Amino acid sequence: MEEGRAERRRRTEALSHPQGGTRRAGVMTDVHRRFLQLLMTHGVLEEWDVRRLQKHCYRVHDRTGAVEELEDFINNINSVLESLYIEIKKGATEDDGRPVYALVNLATTSVSKMASDFAENELDLFRKALELIIDSDTGFASSTNILNLVDQLKGKKMRKKEAEQVLQKFVQNKWLIEKEGEFTLHSRAILEMEQYIRETYPDAVKICNICHSLLIQGQSCETCGIRMHLPCVAKYFQPSSEPRCPHCNDYWPHEIPEVFDPEKEREAGPSKVSKRSLRSRQH
Amino acid sequence: MSEQSKDVCDPNSAAEASNSEVHSSPGVPGGLSPPASQAATLAGPESPPLGPTDAPLASPPPEAPSEEGDPKALQQAAEEGRAHQALSTAQPGPAPPAPAQLVQKAHELMWYVLVKDQKRMIIWFPDMVKDVIGSYKKWCRSILRRTSLILARVFGLHLRLTSLHTMEFSLVKALEPEELDRVALSNRMPMTGLLLMILSLIYVKGRGARESAVWNVLRILGLRPWKKHSTFGDVRKLITEEFVQQNYLKYQRVPHVEPPEYEFFWGSRASREITKMQIMEFLARVFKKDPQAWPSRYREALEEARALREADPTAHCPRSSVSED
Repeated sequence: MEEGRAERRRRTEALSHPQGGTRRAGVMTDVHRRFLQLLMTHGVLEEWDVRRLQKHCYRVHDRTGAVEELEDFINNINSVLESLYIEIKKGATEDDGRPVYALVNLATTSVSKMASDFAENELDLFRKALELIIDSDTGFASSTNILNLVDQLKGKKMRKKEAEQVLQKFVQNKWLIEKEGEFTLHSRAILEMEQYIRETYPDAVKICNICHSLLIQGQSCETCGIRMHLPCVAKYFQPSSEPRCPHCNDYWPHEIPEVFDPEKEREAGPSKVSKRSLRSRQH
Repeated sequence: MSEQSKDVCDPNSAAEASNSEVHSSPGVPGGLSPPASQAATLAGPESPPLGPTDAPLASPPPEAPSEEGDPKALQQAAEEGRAHQALSTAQPGPAPPAPAQLVQKAHELMWYVLVKDQKRMIIWFPDMVKDVIGSYKKWCRSILRRTSLILARVFGLHLRLTSLHTMEFSLVKALEPEELDRVALSNRMPMTGLLLMILSLIYVKGRGARESAVWNVLRILGLRPWKKHSTFGDVRKLITEEFVQQNYLKYQRVPHVEPPEYEFFWGSRASREITKMQIMEFLARVFKKDPQAWPSRYREALEEARALREADPTAHCPRSSVSED
């Protein structure tokens, strides 16, 4: 059982001597456990919810302790989760850059997470929609185009009417977002499935030039074709008066969105109509 | 599932195995010595544990290590896995998998259980075997044990066999219950409010609530059976199918009534997860009255609360997914 011993040693070492950085193996307390429980219950949470959640967990278990900085708090937990192949992943909504967090499984292909919820033909519908979204230029697939594919689905035959309802189910479960009859991926799906998508569609997949993560919606340079997320555009061009493409230096032809500011968000109150920055059709 | 003799993968013994171990008290930081010494004794014979001639490594299942000292706990779990394997390979059978594979299966099972619970779906033992454990059926006990250990140590959750009869597991909080969880993230899960509305109606009536009565109440929220709602979608489908599937409600035909009418009752899961006191508090909030405005119901709620406290003095209350608004 050389394998077993080596495996055990490697894992022990990995925890006590992480490669790179001074991060030592994290220590789980009830504060962290409750946090994980509640994060898992909610699936995906926005950053301000996550902060509230963190404060709540401290209040319950460790009133006297100082609330650790969120990033460190999460890194701490992640160092324990590492050996389990799961992670608290941080992403951002593609349209206005709101940070979101989700507990994701790094090991399995993430479509299987949905597998327990949906029938075979429903899963296949999702895969078809996913392909259309990835292949599209705007990151959106029209309802019509998706529904035209119902005949090609695996499993039980599905009518278009049924497929419409299944698509709504995807929206309710936060896998897809619908805007004006078109569908794109919810930030949750992007967080959970990024790895799967990059492995399954290596040629069609688009990557942001700035953050190098998966890109579904964004802006692109008309000259050289590189793409950037809207929030990445906002951050990158914030200081400059004359935005130029980072790759080919050509004038950047699109409107620069505002950087997401959580403070302004809170002042604006629950109605977020004004903050909705442009959905990009600017390709 | 029951061909093997000793290592019959039966949910009860598997659950016992996991329960006897996992009795983590909420983390007290520090205290590395107990797990370390146990790991040391188990780690004693460095020679491969496989082979029928092995000295039995069947020490009584160690206490769940306290929460700190993760490397030690993992080490110990790895040792146990191997110890168990040694026993199982005493009889001729398929080649045992490498411990790494058992560990991987335990991780898969952990995620599977977490996701099922997140979706408020029933964790059914045969499903666990079919979807995750698969060909490692023979080692499902050790896999389950490891999964329980991880869930307790990392998430503070007990994987408990709630019903041997239906072979259902559920994730139960090992931490102290905390009503404040609801306050912390209020308004996040409107479904809960809808469900509580119906459950409290049934409770106050003291018997089943006719569908017409339920719709009268839901009308206050602006919900109609024929209208799609922006948050709830198809409300009728939600309450007559989804909540029923999740065992929060029962939807039954009223006997001897023509034209047919239906009524709602509390489902088994609601009875398990939601206390009468929670319903009283909900009513108090919604109607801005004191819970004692429903005196007989309030008395019932008090009695139930007392019975629960007596039944479980360690205060491990059933995990309520509802209180996690």
